[in-house]
Parts: sequence; structure tokens; C-alpha cells
Amino acid sequence: MRGRVLYGLAFIAAVAVGHVVTMLAAPQVIMHIAMRRLSGDGESINVFRFADRTTAASRQIVRPSPDLAYASCVYDLSAGPILVDVPPSPNKGYVSVSVFAANTDNVAVMDSLRSPDGIRFILQKERKLVHPGDLPVIYTPTERGIILDRRLAPTLEEFDQADKARRDDRCAPVG
Amino acid sequence: MPVRSSAKAIGVLAMVVIGLVVGAASAIIALKHVGMGGEEYSGWSGSRVTGSAEAGPLLRARVALTGLLALNRSQAIYFTRKVDDLGEPLREDCHYRLVGGPLPGKWWSITAYASDDYLPQNQDDALSVDASEVTPDKRGIWEAEVGPSPNPAMPWLSTRQAGEFDLTLRIYNPASQAQRDFASIAFPKVERISCGDSR
Repeated sequence: MRGRVLYGLAFIAAVAVGHVVTMLAAPQVIMHIAMRRLSGDGESINVFRFADRTTAASRQIVRPSPDLAYASCVYDLSAGPILVDVPPSPNKGYVSVSVFAANTDNVAVMDSLRSPDGIRFILQKERKLVHPGDLPVIYTPTERGIILDRRLAPTLEEFDQADKARRDDRCAPVG
Repeated sequence: MPVRSSAKAIGVLAMVVIGLVVGAASAIIALKHVGMGGEEYSGWSGSRVTGSAEAGPLLRARVALTGLLALNRSQAIYFTRKVDDLGEPLREDCHYRLVGGPLPGKWWSITAYASDDYLPQNQDDALSVDASEVTPDKRGIWEAEVGPSPNPAMPWLSTRQAGEFDLTLRIYNPASQAQRDFASIAFPKVERISCGDSR
């Protein structure tokens, strides 16, 4: 009888632990997988990569929007801050640049409505020295994460225009 | 006696391992199927803290699993629904009519996702309907077709190969009133027209 109670208690405690740990670990684990995929297994760090037009076959990120052209940069600030430079789309098309920390936090977002001539900023880790200069500085709580450039491109023609513009995206160490 | 003790230890260990697996599986099922835990209006549910650092562990995990890299509400607000206006699950073999009015943002789109959270596996080039495709009438009311085949009279969102699916409404650069109060948004209706070959 005592043995059954012991087994039951061990099972219930393990279910609770498994449930909570999975909930807490899921964001970091899933972000880690996304960073690995978006950086080509770690080969492209601090550089933008350009996703093909979203189709039914797109499988890199869940729930992709078929109306946007995506470019992504997996950043690593261990060697210092990086400069991010994203030029505008033609015809004032909507562009947004968002910075995600490794815990999924959307720590900053900028768009073409407020920055119609392009988006430029320094990205660096929290509590590090502010980079001198006039550019805005964005702080992230984690050393690694993802920068995502989204451009409105619902048609093939608009996608081609946005694609041409995004090829000038830069995400590289300062200096 | 040592034999009984070690048998008991193995039994406890087995219970712990099974329990951990069951706990992890229950967490994944809860994350995928319990919704975003936010607010629901006219069948559409969304959360004010998606993509935000304010999100708690549960919402953060749900977003990671079903909407990774979502924008925060100043850039976009997201709403999802899995059922039609009668509360029936959305199905690939049914035709639905989306009926909406002006939406409070610079641009919007509605996309169907299959139960694996990816786009339906079809080549219809009709993966979404958006603000630039619909033709509002004098009152600003617009209509669109959701189903496995098109309706020539209106924009079409193809659900071929979608199985049981959900719809995601994205409103980009939402008005500040909409960001503060989701109840102020006039959400599109999702009316079931027909199912199977009855159309």
C-alpha cells in the first residue's frame, strides 16, 4: 500500500515538474532552433539573410505571413555592438524592423512611418558602455537574438521591388 | 531486502520518467490548443501583450510555439479564430463568407493556417485576403470568400489542403484606440455558406 502511494506521489510530482519546466524552457529552446535555422546552422551571424517569397512550402518560422518580404539577421554581441542599417522600400512601402532577444521579447521596433528615409541604429547588450555617436542605441537583455526586417509585399511585383531594396540591409560589427 | 528496495527504487524512477514525459506532453498540448489566453471578441481572440516583455511565462511559451517573432501591439495586433459564427470548427470542405467593415489600421490581412501552424499545402496563390484586395461598398462593408474553390465575385482565401484550420487577422499600425480597447474593433464575421459538395 505504501509503495503504491509512493509511486503515485512520484508520478504526480514528476508530471507537475515536467509541465512547468516545459512551459518555462519552450521560448528559449524554440528561439534557439529558430536562430540556428535563420543563420544557416550558425554560418551567417551578424549578417542579413533573405527569405524567398512566402509560399505554402515555407517552413522556417511558424505562421509566416504571405504578404511580407522577410530578411533576418541573427546577432551575436559577444564581440561588441553592431550597426543595423535598413534602407526604405520604393514608393514609401511599409517597412518594420524588430529586435528580438533570445527569450522571445520584442525589445524594439521601428518602422518606415517614423523613419521614412531608412532605419539605422546601434544594437548592444544591456549594461554595456553606450556607443559614442549620434545614432540611436537599442539595448537587448541577451547577447544573441534575431533582427527581423518585414516589408509589405502582397504581390509578386511588390515583392520584387522590396527584395531589391532589402539587399542593401546591413547588420555588422561597429568600427 | 536489498532486492525489494532496489525494485522499489526502479519503480519510483520509472514513475518519475513517465511523469516527466506526461507533464511535458500536457504542456505542449495546452500551449497548442488552449488558445492565447487573451481576450475574445466576436469569435476572434488576441492578446495585448503578444511580443511584449510584459508577457508572462505561459503566454511567452504559447507565442514561441505558435507565433514566434510576433510584433508588439504598436506595430501589429493579431487575432485568431478556429470556429465560424455558429461555433463550428473551420473546415477545409466548407465555404465561408467573410464580411467586414473598416478595420482600424494602416493595412490588414487575413490568413488561413493548417493545424500544424503552417500555410495550407496548395498552389492556389490565394494564401490571404488583404485590405488592397477587397472592394468596400458605400458603407465600407466588404466581403471575401474562404473555401477550397474560388467565388469569382469576390477575393478568395484558399483553404484547399488546410484540414481543420484557423484564421489569423493581422492589423498593421493599429490605431491607438484599437491597441487600448479591442472591443472597439468591428471584427469581420465568418458565416458558413455550405459544406461538402452542396454548393
